[in-house]
Amino acid sequence: MTETKHTNLIRTLFPSAVSGVVLGVIGAIITGMIVYAFVGDNNQDAVIVAGYTGWVIFFFIGIGAFNGVWKWGFARHDATSAEELQLAGKDQGFWRYFRFTTDHKVVGMQYLATVLVLFFVGSLGAFMIRLEQSRPGAIFFTPSTYNTIVGMHGILMIAATIIMVSGPFGNFVLPIMIGARDMAFPRLNALSFWLLFSALPIFFSTLFLGGFPTGWTGYAPLAVQELTPGMDAYCFMIIVFAMSITVAALNIVATVMVLRTKGMTWGRLPIFVWGVLLSVFLGLIAFPSFLISQIMVLMDRVFQTSFFIASFGGSSWLYEHMFWFMGHPEVYVIALPAMAVAAEVTSVFARKPLFGYRLLIGGLVSICVLSVLVWGHHLYTSGSSPALDGPYMLDTEIISIPTGLFFLGIVGTLWRGKIWVTLPLLFVGGMLVNFVIGGITGIYLADLPTDEILHGGMFVTAHFHFTLVGSMVFGFLAGFYYWFPKMVGRRLNPLLGRLHFWLFEIGFLGTFTALFYAGLQGEPRWSANVAPPYATANLIASLFAILIAASVFVLVYNVVVTLVRGEVALANEWGAKTLEWTVPTPVPLENFEQLPVITSLPYDYGSPASLPDTGVVEVVEVIDIPLPAETQIQPES
Amino acid sequence: MSKALEQMHEIEPHVQVGRARVGVLMFVLSDAVSVVAIMAAGGYLSTLNVTGQFNAGVHAPAFLPGLLVAIVLVLSGLAYYGWERGVRKHGSAGQPIWFVLSGVLMLVALGGQVWIGMNLGYVAPFHAYASIILLLTWYSAVHLLLTVLVGILLSGRIIRGRLIGHGYIAEVVGYWWYYTVISYLLMWIFVVLFT
Repeated sequence: MTETKHTNLIRTLFPSAVSGVVLGVIGAIITGMIVYAFVGDNNQDAVIVAGYTGWVIFFFIGIGAFNGVWKWGFARHDATSAEELQLAGKDQGFWRYFRFTTDHKVVGMQYLATVLVLFFVGSLGAFMIRLEQSRPGAIFFTPSTYNTIVGMHGILMIAATIIMVSGPFGNFVLPIMIGARDMAFPRLNALSFWLLFSALPIFFSTLFLGGFPTGWTGYAPLAVQELTPGMDAYCFMIIVFAMSITVAALNIVATVMVLRTKGMTWGRLPIFVWGVLLSVFLGLIAFPSFLISQIMVLMDRVFQTSFFIASFGGSSWLYEHMFWFMGHPEVYVIALPAMAVAAEVTSVFARKPLFGYRLLIGGLVSICVLSVLVWGHHLYTSGSSPALDGPYMLDTEIISIPTGLFFLGIVGTLWRGKIWVTLPLLFVGGMLVNFVIGGITGIYLADLPTDEILHGGMFVTAHFHFTLVGSMVFGFLAGFYYWFPKMVGRRLNPLLGRLHFWLFEIGFLGTFTALFYAGLQGEPRWSANVAPPYATANLIASLFAILIAASVFVLVYNVVVTLVRGEVALANEWGAKTLEWTVPTPVPLENFEQLPVITSLPYDYGSPASLPDTGVVEVVEVIDIPLPAETQIQPES
Repeated sequence: MSKALEQMHEIEPHVQVGRARVGVLMFVLSDAVSVVAIMAAGGYLSTLNVTGQFNAGVHAPAFLPGLLVAIVLVLSGLAYYGWERGVRKHGSAGQPIWFVLSGVLMLVALGGQVWIGMNLGYVAPFHAYASIILLLTWYSAVHLLLTVLVGILLSGRIIRGRLIGHGYIAEVVGYWWYYTVISYLLMWIFVVLFT
């Protein structure tokens, strides 16, 4: 009996995240020691990088990621459906979240939990920044520590925002939305998440290795000249993260291209699917340049190459180009799915077909194409050829047209709709307000004459927070409140949700409007100590940031309480028409009993064509799901 | 294990083929952008020629070893194509001799590329030109190593008789195989012209 229990425990732990971490740590130590034996104290960076490499490889051996690869080549037979279902976490309870589980819903939940944790940790960094900047002079941190906090906050939040929609919802919801049973490559799906997971300890190890002073951009030559090995953590984390993004992206593209159910033509794809698809495709094009730039930085640091060292023929401009070739499209990698969530949610709660569906898709595609042509506007003031300024300025201006059209589409959807003001729609409203401010202030930074004055100042900080946080994170939160009942099976407390929204929105507007003012006064970014002329604006920003902090804790409290004793959610909580709402909650392992057949768009609210007996979505058990009273069309408030 | 659940999990053959094609092509696309990024970096540094430090001079890699590796790789690609054509035509494992030949040639190319990398003759600290050549050389070597590993896995399937009925695997591995050859040729030509 004891032996059986013992065996079961071993089978549970091996392979799992536990065995992965144990083996990863052992691997890191061994590889680090081997390299140390060769290079000694002369090349600390080489030892660190070897340790990170060992960690990643042995972590994946420990978690069992390579088992399937080996079996693919050398097993006597292909994996049976029973074995695949086992790998998908069938009957494994909660522990499946800690294994190399291939079920897209498990991966989606893993991403969601990770995103929330990253946001929480990143927010703590933000609060530390605001605390330090609340009064002139040094208060708590040395300039070096402050820079590390700012850098960590920046890159952590950027990483979190890149995956915040495509990770959780792209994995959990997207396959169901297109009528698929799983992602195209379930193993790659798990791999993408665990690559992300393995990057996190690497990133946080920078705290014990002296941090990194470059900020989130990791600019060379400072990145190369930095003597503490904390910079290696940044570079290696980016490399692993870029791999994770690439794997996830090719998987999502393959899923949408190949696994759409019968009748789910390109012209009938939910707008959310379009948003995620274009976002990850853009990532697939944009991220390799960033990945290569970090390989170059590591080579400069470890092998003494000179990609970015001017005295040996290198150039820091090279880094800026390679970084921003990723850096600006990356904004749209974040934006496209968040905007698509907003459009999806708006149609549901306006109970109206999406206004200009094809126009919106055209907008997303145009943004996608134009976004890879605008990176030069980040180099206006770095001394690049003036001949480039005009074209980059024009590109940047032009991209606002499809972006504006998209938001026009959202407003058009709301127009004369039967608006049901739910939490998700409230966040879409906040997103619209914040995006107007973020978008308009962006024009001043796109135009060279004003950018010459405003660049490198708090105005820029406020602008990109309005676009990334005020707009895109609000879009994520709209999706979070919208799909949470489907993903978790429980209903978040709407009152606490509204409190979260208002605290966040008011706090956000107060904080970053004050920083706009500080920027217009001339306060530079990257200054650890606030100078007296900017003290008032910074104090106001810090006071409003308390509201944001409170909103974060309200959200955390709401999630925890809901998980413990939240109301059970309905299968179709909002009376929506996309396919994820047609399956039971919790969603069965294979999603659909029978694959649905689609005959029209999922936005035909109020149209005679959408009546159930016309068979718009020909899934019998789905059509018959009774809608709860509260999901009926509400009078416009 | 529920039989119904297992049946639901079965993936239709055309879906298997489609996803494999798209997956490999997307991977190739992503990697191709990386290769372009490296070559663009080289071109950019060459154009800037900061403080006149960026020049090949006597540091240009030897022509002949690169040419030999390129020839071996082209032969490997051709041998793979010969094998893959047989697989597609007959729906079986094709003529394994061609596959073995392509694999051996790929291995030889890998060995050659590692030899080139070890014998570039540069001394640290490496100037920018040498840095670009080092990166291109070892990036190509990683490509070749990956292809060798894929070849080993594929050989396992052939030995176990698990390629029959899965001819698309030979096809999609071919995408990567040919891409490896083409990208090497492009990088090699770039290095030669760069000099």
